[in-house]
Amino acid sequence: MACCRDRSKPAVSIEHVSLGEHHQHLDPFSSEASVAIDFLRRFTVHSRCNNLFAPHLRWVRTAPVFAVAVGLTALLYTDRHAVAEQPLLDVVPDKVRLFPDDSQQLLIRIGDQAQQDVTDQVTLLSRDPKIAAITAQGTVRGRQPGQTVIEIKWDGQTSEIPVIVGANEQRPPLRFSSDIVPVLTKLGCNSGGCHGKATGQGQFKLSLLGFDPHLDYLALVKQARGRRLFPSAPERSLLLLKATAQMPHGGGRRLNILDDDYRILKQWIATGSRGPNPTEASLERIEVTPQRQTLKPESRQQLLVTAYYSNGESQDVTRRTIYQSNQQELASVSKSGRIETTSQPGLFSVMARFGGKIATFHAAVPYANDAQQQQQIASRLASLEVASQDSRFDRLLIQQWRQLGILPSAAAADHKFIRRVTIDICGTLPTREEVEAYINDKSEDKREQLINRLLERPEYANYFALKWADILQNRGSGYSTSKQRTGTSLFSRWIRDSIGENKPYDQFVTEIITGSGSQLENPPTIWHRHVRTLPDYVESVAQAFLGVRIQCAQCHHHPFERWSQADYYGLAAVFSRVGRKGGFADAEVPTNETIFLRDTGTVLHPRTQEVIAPRALGGPDFSLERYDDPRIHLARWMTQRDNPFLARTMVNRLWAHFMGRGIIHPIDDARSTNPPSNPALLEALSQDFVEHGYDIKHTIGIICNSLAYRLDSAPHDLNKHDRQTFARFYPRRLTAEVLLDAISQVLAVPTEFNGGPGKFPAGTRAIELPDENVPVHFLDVFGRPARDSACECERVDSPALSQALELVNSELLQSKLSAKEGYVAKLAAQKLATEQKVADVFLRTFGRNPQSGELDTAIQFLKDADPIEGYRSLIWALLATNEFMFNH
Amino acid sequence: MLSLTGSAYKNCDGFTRRNFLQVGAPLLGLGLSDILRSESNAKNDGTPVNRKSLIVFWTHGGMSQQDTYDMKPDSPPEYRGMYQPIQTTQSDIIVSERFPMQAKVMDLLAQVRSVHHENGIHAPSAHWMQTGFFGPTLARIAAQRPSFGSVISRAMGPWQRQMPAYVTVPKSEAFGYQGSVYLGKSHNPFEVGGNPNAKDFKVPNLSLPGGLTVKNVQSRRFLLGKFDTLRRDIDTTEVMDGLDTFKARAMEMIAGERVRKAFDISQEDPQLRDRYGRHQYGQSALLARRLVEAGTRCVTINTGYWDHHNEIEKGLEEHLPPLDRAIWALVDDLKQRGMLDDVVIYCSGEFGRTPLMNGHAGRDHWSNCFTVMLAGGGIQGGRVVGASEKHGGGVKERLATPLDVIATIYHALGIPLGTHYEDSTGRPVSIVDAGRPILELM
Repeated sequence: MACCRDRSKPAVSIEHVSLGEHHQHLDPFSSEASVAIDFLRRFTVHSRCNNLFAPHLRWVRTAPVFAVAVGLTALLYTDRHAVAEQPLLDVVPDKVRLFPDDSQQLLIRIGDQAQQDVTDQVTLLSRDPKIAAITAQGTVRGRQPGQTVIEIKWDGQTSEIPVIVGANEQRPPLRFSSDIVPVLTKLGCNSGGCHGKATGQGQFKLSLLGFDPHLDYLALVKQARGRRLFPSAPERSLLLLKATAQMPHGGGRRLNILDDDYRILKQWIATGSRGPNPTEASLERIEVTPQRQTLKPESRQQLLVTAYYSNGESQDVTRRTIYQSNQQELASVSKSGRIETTSQPGLFSVMARFGGKIATFHAAVPYANDAQQQQQIASRLASLEVASQDSRFDRLLIQQWRQLGILPSAAAADHKFIRRVTIDICGTLPTREEVEAYINDKSEDKREQLINRLLERPEYANYFALKWADILQNRGSGYSTSKQRTGTSLFSRWIRDSIGENKPYDQFVTEIITGSGSQLENPPTIWHRHVRTLPDYVESVAQAFLGVRIQCAQCHHHPFERWSQADYYGLAAVFSRVGRKGGFADAEVPTNETIFLRDTGTVLHPRTQEVIAPRALGGPDFSLERYDDPRIHLARWMTQRDNPFLARTMVNRLWAHFMGRGIIHPIDDARSTNPPSNPALLEALSQDFVEHGYDIKHTIGIICNSLAYRLDSAPHDLNKHDRQTFARFYPRRLTAEVLLDAISQVLAVPTEFNGGPGKFPAGTRAIELPDENVPVHFLDVFGRPARDSACECERVDSPALSQALELVNSELLQSKLSAKEGYVAKLAAQKLATEQKVADVFLRTFGRNPQSGELDTAIQFLKDADPIEGYRSLIWALLATNEFMFNH
Repeated sequence: MLSLTGSAYKNCDGFTRRNFLQVGAPLLGLGLSDILRSESNAKNDGTPVNRKSLIVFWTHGGMSQQDTYDMKPDSPPEYRGMYQPIQTTQSDIIVSERFPMQAKVMDLLAQVRSVHHENGIHAPSAHWMQTGFFGPTLARIAAQRPSFGSVISRAMGPWQRQMPAYVTVPKSEAFGYQGSVYLGKSHNPFEVGGNPNAKDFKVPNLSLPGGLTVKNVQSRRFLLGKFDTLRRDIDTTEVMDGLDTFKARAMEMIAGERVRKAFDISQEDPQLRDRYGRHQYGQSALLARRLVEAGTRCVTINTGYWDHHNEIEKGLEEHLPPLDRAIWALVDDLKQRGMLDDVVIYCSGEFGRTPLMNGHAGRDHWSNCFTVMLAGGGIQGGRVVGASEKHGGGVKERLATPLDVIATIYHALGIPLGTHYEDSTGRPVSIVDAGRPILELM
């Protein structure tokens, strides 16, 4: 290595090497220069380090790497000997062993971290194509036994990869479960639309997505009097003739006779079509290479997927794997595992699926910034970092912006911040007086004080109770007697009180899950009113508290996760002894039931018919005594400090509430194939939440005080594509109830709510309604959920013409504007200068003074208008703006 | 309730309608090209206005081809099903005995009996038939492509600008895949929100509330244009853009009578209403005719759920007669009004149903070969394109993909098939990709 260092001095222009955020020009003989030289040295080393996301490597950037590469190329040209020792090209695998007709994908990369994929750009040559061939995309294919070498040429460099093609006789037999079933999955034979559906297709039924190899083997080999396979002439097997559409096939042509998959099926038939064998090696895991990578926009990346078996064998399955990109906007992926990124920067992942196993490739596509932009970002982030000394959460945000080359927006102005945080914590618009007091407050910790004050207001409890009543499905629809409204009111009040008194979240969840007794006396048992069946319990608990969607596993192994039917029914078994008695049933759902633990109640695995013991999700069976309530064990497991689900799901839910998007998005779909955008931040928040005793107000304080929450929503060139890293505030429309209350507040005319037994008391706000069975067209068109599921996604903000008509033309809004006791009438009657009145309208509605142009327009308009209608129109116009309708 | 102070297009407070558009509309988020296009649609400078439009009967859940358009009378009973075929005006075309009304106008209806795609689950199949592309694989995964209705809305706009371009009756279905996705939320369908056959059918908020006049609405609109200055690029979810467009459209709808009249089905002659049939199918079809007559481009009628896995006869007895009458009455009515050459009628669902009856006297999902019906708008009636195998099942000749069918509709409406729209990444995406119009129908 020393030779490298010596030789590098004259060849490399060190002043172009930038280090970290400090962008200094280096004295070539200083210690910092030696770091740079070390960097160069490593550039030439055969390296497979993939941890580009690690903080200490954040200084690897396009421009300096390019500068270094230029210098380095010159250096390498001067010393061919050094090149042979230190190949520039990183090739995985470094030798290839395979059998005739098998294939092995090569992955060829350059760069000090092997960060640039050149697999399809290098010149590839097989020295003996009769032994092994190579495609332009880097796939080696065995031809006949023997040895040869693949030559790889790139930019004057040559690498050689030895290839050994073994004799067919040595080939291990094909395994049904891990070789044949994956083919059926990739071709879609066993998908839910074809032979995988419950009734099969054309008398031929396979297990859905191949999760029951025994059944599949019987179907292929034994059923239909064995006519599906024809061992003496494998290519004439019905299976192959149909799949290649040589015989009429309802599913069309799935397979070409030149495909690897065809060859594998044919070979399996020819070699005796062995069935699943419990003693043979099983597929243990698959691995994708690389696992993480930083990619450029509009670039390509080949993936390599290797399957590992229980006997220590491994093989390349790149071309037999199914791929799926989680962000089509950022990257697409071909059937052979080649990723193409679009022009858009951001984070994405690609799921690889083979034989029921999954692996995930994570990628970051940084902004392609020029040197000046990089410097601007680095210095701004450095100063933000100094300002955020005491917040590890802010540092984690900054770290990610640095990795992606993103410059966050500026901080939001005071009037915007108080409006934003009052809406988000209290679901309420701040008054003119509150806004003015905050702006004029000179104390240094006024933001923290404001957040603390808001968390103590009853509106906070009301607003978050509304959110939780959605999640816990406190439904009122379907019945209308006073008894039922009593139930939803009790539950709603219990939720509100729990939130108001800041009940620790672990306790809150435990009381809901384990509640027993009369619904009149123990309100959390009202949760059982709409969560009634075992699937309801499993899906509600998984989605609301554990943040996972497990519905798939009711019928088959979750295709994108580890959840199996055993997980699903194990969780179901926790609730199998929940009993109900009493109750008053005048509609489809009885009320006022008593929830108790029955003596018996078991759950059978739908396929094996074995009794399934109550079990935590992915966890061990509970050790239960005869009279134990399994729900208590579940709650205990969920609220253990190291439970991987509960705290993470809650902090992510809270983060999404305030930031408009979860760190895991959607918030209830956590899985390895849907990774968090900032895993370190999520982990830190989640740990902090547990360490503070599941203190919800504490975590809300952390989030509202965070750097991300304080940013302005206006983007600039260096973050305009950001939708994942919270480099600006993401605006969203006020939710239905908040919007209606805000309009009522501005116009000083409360909404009258009628529902169930009678009118709600005058002054009741929309965020205080106990259930959704209070007919208000405004709330429905603006996306009030029906509380059909535990998914917050039921509440939608998509725009619709009906919303616009509600604003422009509804009796509701018009009557508020025209009310005799309302703000408009009073304002019009006041003896004040028009200018002052207009200013009051703006402060009351927008929380800011009118700009001069706005003031002129308003005064001009009011001069010619009818005295009252003029103000009505003015205020209506402000209420219909995006500035009012959005939290921004 | 109504207190209109002037006729629909007259200016009411000092500026002409044209000024109003120029001043107000751009600030409300309508792009300039939208306005120019609408203007050119509205004015009479010698170029004829393209009044082509589309009415869709969406058989949500999947209608059995074998019991309706593609009878197999010579197959064994378990394939044939319970209905007998009947003759139509065309000697070579038979249909189900539950389609006696359509049989009388078969010279005006065409069928494609060889539509094929490769998915048998409702959601992805609905995505396929609504957008032309295979898409989401799990029910809750969002739509990836715009529906044909949204493409039509974007490509053509309404032919009278006050009208919504794309309407669903009573609301959107197809498992959520009747939306606009990356075409912009303003091309989402306007949902009527009620059953047009109901006595008290009324589209919410189409009439002015007490005390509000058209003049007031116009002043409010003027002010909104002045004060709604929040930067639009802060929102990348398109919620703001969508709201902007809808606000502009809502105010135009209010200011004019055209829209209210179009939705007011009670203005129709009771005898004609009877002809369409006093059921949801019939009155929805009649409403659709009123809407396309007034300027809407695409009306999708989502009536009934056709997922007849069990006791299919019971389900079909309920749905086939009203559907039959509605299609017949619509075709006949359009013909009498001289509109049939302008209005394409399309009847399809996400797939057909299995040729072989199952053990529950029902039929399951079948996408390998099923039938869609097309009529009007230049499509030649009395024709059958493509054929299924002996007992149904597979395509025997002239396979038609979902994109072929959608391309046929675009072609009939006059939308250039080379049209591309940018998706959310800015990539131009073809509206028909590999789809080719079925020219044998033209």
